[in-house]
Amino acid sequence: MSEEAQTEEIPDSTRDLEIDDEKELMIEDLDLWYGDKQALYGVSLPIAKNSVTALIGPSGCGKSTLLRMMNRMNDLIPICHYDGKISMGDVEITGKDADLVEIRKKIGMVFQRPNPFPKSIYDNVGYGVKLHFKPTREELDAIVEKSLKRAALWKEVADRQHELGTSLSGGQQQRLCIARTIAIEPDVILMDEPCSALDPIATAAIEELILELKKDFTVVIVTHSMSQAARVSDYTGFMYLGRLVEFDKTEKIFSDPDNELTKRYITGRFG
Amino acid sequence: MKDIDNLQKRSRKLRDFAETMGSSGLAFTGLVGLLFLAILVWQITAPTFIDGESGEIPAANEFITESDYEMEWDYPNTDSNGALTTDAIVLEISWDGGDEVHELQINIISERDIYEDVYINESGLSTNIVEIGRKTKFHLYSSLTEVVLVIQNSGPVPSADETGKPLVSSFVIEYDIAVVYDGGLVFEPLEIIAYATLIFLVIIYRAPKSNILEFMHKLVGKERMVLAIFYALALVTTIAGGLSVPSTLAALCWILAARMMSALIKGIERMLHSGRKLSEVSRLKHSISNRDGLLMWSSMLLVTSTLFIPLEIYIPFLTERYQDIFSPYSSGIRAAFYGTIWVMLIAMISSVPISVGAAIYLEEYAKPTKTTKLIQALVTNLAGVPSIVFGMFGLAIFVKQGGIGWGLGPSILAAGLTMGVMAMPIIVLASQEALRSVPRSLRESAYGVGCTQWQVTKDHVLPSAMPGIMTGSILAMSRIMGEAAPLVVVGATAMIVFDPEPLAGLFGGNVNFTVIPIQIYFWTSEPDPAWHAMAAAASISLIALLVAMNSIAIVLRQHFRRRLN
Ligand SMILES: Nc1ncnc2c1ncn2[C@@H]1O[C@H](COP(=O)(O)OP(=O)(O)OP(=O)(O)O)[C@@H](O)[C@H]1O
Ligand SMILES: [Mg+2]
Repeated sequence: MSEEAQTEEIPDSTRDLEIDDEKELMIEDLDLWYGDKQALYGVSLPIAKNSVTALIGPSGCGKSTLLRMMNRMNDLIPICHYDGKISMGDVEITGKDADLVEIRKKIGMVFQRPNPFPKSIYDNVGYGVKLHFKPTREELDAIVEKSLKRAALWKEVADRQHELGTSLSGGQQQRLCIARTIAIEPDVILMDEPCSALDPIATAAIEELILELKKDFTVVIVTHSMSQAARVSDYTGFMYLGRLVEFDKTEKIFSDPDNELTKRYITGRFG
Repeated sequence: MKDIDNLQKRSRKLRDFAETMGSSGLAFTGLVGLLFLAILVWQITAPTFIDGESGEIPAANEFITESDYEMEWDYPNTDSNGALTTDAIVLEISWDGGDEVHELQINIISERDIYEDVYINESGLSTNIVEIGRKTKFHLYSSLTEVVLVIQNSGPVPSADETGKPLVSSFVIEYDIAVVYDGGLVFEPLEIIAYATLIFLVIIYRAPKSNILEFMHKLVGKERMVLAIFYALALVTTIAGGLSVPSTLAALCWILAARMMSALIKGIERMLHSGRKLSEVSRLKHSISNRDGLLMWSSMLLVTSTLFIPLEIYIPFLTERYQDIFSPYSSGIRAAFYGTIWVMLIAMISSVPISVGAAIYLEEYAKPTKTTKLIQALVTNLAGVPSIVFGMFGLAIFVKQGGIGWGLGPSILAAGLTMGVMAMPIIVLASQEALRSVPRSLRESAYGVGCTQWQVTKDHVLPSAMPGIMTGSILAMSRIMGEAAPLVVVGATAMIVFDPEPLAGLFGGNVNFTVIPIQIYFWTSEPDPAWHAMAAAASISLIALLVAMNSIAIVLRQHFRRRLN
C-alpha cells in the first residue's frame, strides 16, 4: 500500500479525546518540523494523572519526537520548530517565555539508552536535587537512599555509592537513570523505550517499577513491545507517519480498536 | 505535598544570576580571546608597525641591581715579556656576624673551576685566608646582605668596585651577588612532615589497614577540626618557608592531605552506615567520594615536587648560573631553567583560560553565522602561522612602548604573553575538538534534570572534555617550550648571571632573561668546545623537561579516561 493511501485511512483529529481521569498534560494540535520535513501533524493528546500512557507505532512515526516535545527537549535541536500548544494545568509548556528549567524539573525524562553522568552513583542521583533544592548533607543522603530504593537499585549499590555510575551494568544504569529522575520528584516521567537495551529480567524489573511509580507520578512511555504496552499502560496512543491514529484506554485499543491500521499494527500484520 | 517540597527552595533569582554571570563571564573571556586574535590579524596585515624610531628594541644589557655586587680582578699580571710581575693575590676575609647565623658560600672561581669555597656557618668562617695564585682572573660572589670585610693582603688591585674606585689594600663587600648555594636543609622539617603525611594517606587509600581505620573512626564528627588544623599547618609552612617554591608545594600537600583526610573520615562513616565492618578494608574504596581524583592529584603533586629536588640539592649544572665566558664547567642552566619555567607559566596562565573560554563560546554558545564561520577560519589558519611571526607580534604589542605597545620591555612577561598568544589557536582548536566529542546523550541527560545551559557546560560538558582540553594545552605548552625563534625577536639575552624576575616588566628591575633553547643556541655558537658539551647537556635537560610534561599529560588523560570509562 502506498504512503498516500495509508495516510487517507487516518481520521482527522476530530475524534472525541476526552478521558475520565484528571488530566496532567494536554497536547493540542501540535505540528512539528525538522527543517522542511514535517514530523508531527496536528497531534492532540491528553495525558491522565497518576496513570501510564503508552505511545506505540512503527519506527520513525514520531513517538520520540512527541515525547521530547513534552519537556521541550526538542529545543536542543536547532533545526526543529513547532506550532501548537502543550499545557500542564494552567502552565503553557510551549509558551515563549516558559521556564524550561522549571518544566524539566516537573517533567523528568528517562532516555532510550541509559546515560548516567560520568560521576559517582551518589552524585548521579544527588546532582539534580542539589541543583534545585539546597539540601543539607543528611537530607541529601536520605533522598539518594530513598530514590535508589524506589528504583529497586539500593540493594545492589548500597555499599558502593561512590563508584562510578558508568561502571554499572546496562540494566542497573537504566534504573540509576530512573532514580536520578525520581530524586527530584517530578510530576511526570517520560520514558523513551526504557527497556530496549535490556534483558528480560531487567525489563521485568523496570516494568514492575513503572507500575509502582504510577502511584506517585504520571508516566508516559514509548515502547515497541505490544505486550509491554498492554501490561503496564492504562492508556495507549497509536501513531503512524507523524499522526496520532487512535488513542483510548489500553483494554479498548488491544481488544477492539476502532481503526483498521491500529488493528493491523497490534496484531502484527503491518507493512 | 511531596517530601521534596519541604526542602528549602533554591532561589530562582540566584540561579538566574549564576546563569548570567557564568555566561557573561564566558562571553567576556571569549571576547578577550577574540580581541587578541583580531589584534594579531591586524598586526600581521600591518607589518610596518615596528619600523621607525619608536620601534627600536633596547639593547640587551646586563646590569647589576643595587643589592648585587661583583668584584673582578683582571689578569694578566704580566709584563710585556710575559713574566709575572705581581704577587699572588691573598685575601683575608672577616665577618662580623653578630648573633645571627648565616650559611653561605663565597665562590672564588678561577679558570673553569670553583677554586675555593668559603663557608660561613655556626662556627664562623671556614677559612679566612685565601691564596689565589697569580695567573687568575676570578670573581668573588656571595649572597650576604651582611657586611663582609675582605682585605687583600697582596697582589694587584681589583679592576673596580661598586663605586668604580678600587681600594688598594682593603675593601668592603657591602652587598654581594649571586647566591651560589644556601647550605640549609633541602626541605624544612614541616615540609618533610607534609610530604610524609600525604604519602601516608596515599598508602592508606591504596591499602587500608583496619587498625588505622579504627583510629580514624575516632575522628568522625571532628572533620572540621582536622581540616582547620591541616589548613593552619599549610599556612605556617608557607610563611615559614618564605613563600618559596618548595614551601608552597608543601602547603599544597597539606591542603590535599586535609581533603583526603576528610574524605576518608566521611568514607569510614558511610561504610559503617551501610552496614559494613571496618575490617572489610577492601570495601573502603567504594565509600570514599572522589577517591580517584584525590589520588591523581596527590601523585601529581609528589611527582612535581621531585622535579624541584635537583634545584635544592647541589647539582652544579642545574643549580649554577652562567659564570663567565672562561668558566663553562662551573656554569649552569639555572637561570635558563627558571626562565623557561616562568615563560611557560605566564604563557599558560594567560592563554589557557582565554582559549578554553573562546572554544566554549564558539562551540556551545555562538550561533553559526557568517561571522562565527569567519572567526573559525581565522583561528584554524592562525594555528599554522610560523612562530617567528608571533615573535614580531609580541615585539610590537608587548615589548615596544607607545602606539599599541604595552611597553613591557624584553622581559619574561612579554615573552610569556607572546608564547601564550602563540599557544592560543592551538588550544582553541584542541578544546573545540574535545567539546565536540562530548556525546549528545550527556548533554540531554543534563538538560533532562533541569540544568541551565551554563550548568550543563560547567558541570558536564567541560569535565567530559577535560582530557582533550588538558592534553591539547599541555602539548601546546611543550611545543612553545622548545621554541627559540619568537623569543630571539622579543629579546631574550644570551647569558645572564641572575635568576630572572618574572614581573620585572611591570614593576621595574632586571628584565633580562633567557630560556633553555636560547641558551643552547648561544652556547653552540661559542668557539670553545667545552660550551658545546654544555649545550648538549642543556638539550638533554630540555628533553627531560618535555618528557616530564608529556607524562603529566598522559597521567591526566588516563585519569579522566577512566572516569569516562
Ligand atoms: N534530529 C533530527 N533531525 C532531523 N530529523 C529528525 C530528527 N529526529 C527525528 N527526525 C525525523 O523525525 C521523524 C520521527 O522521528 P522519531 O525519532 O520521533 O521517531 P520514533 O517514532 O521515535 O522512531 P523509533 O521507534 O525508531 O525511535 C523521523 O522521520 C526522523 O527521521
Ligand atoms: Mg524513538
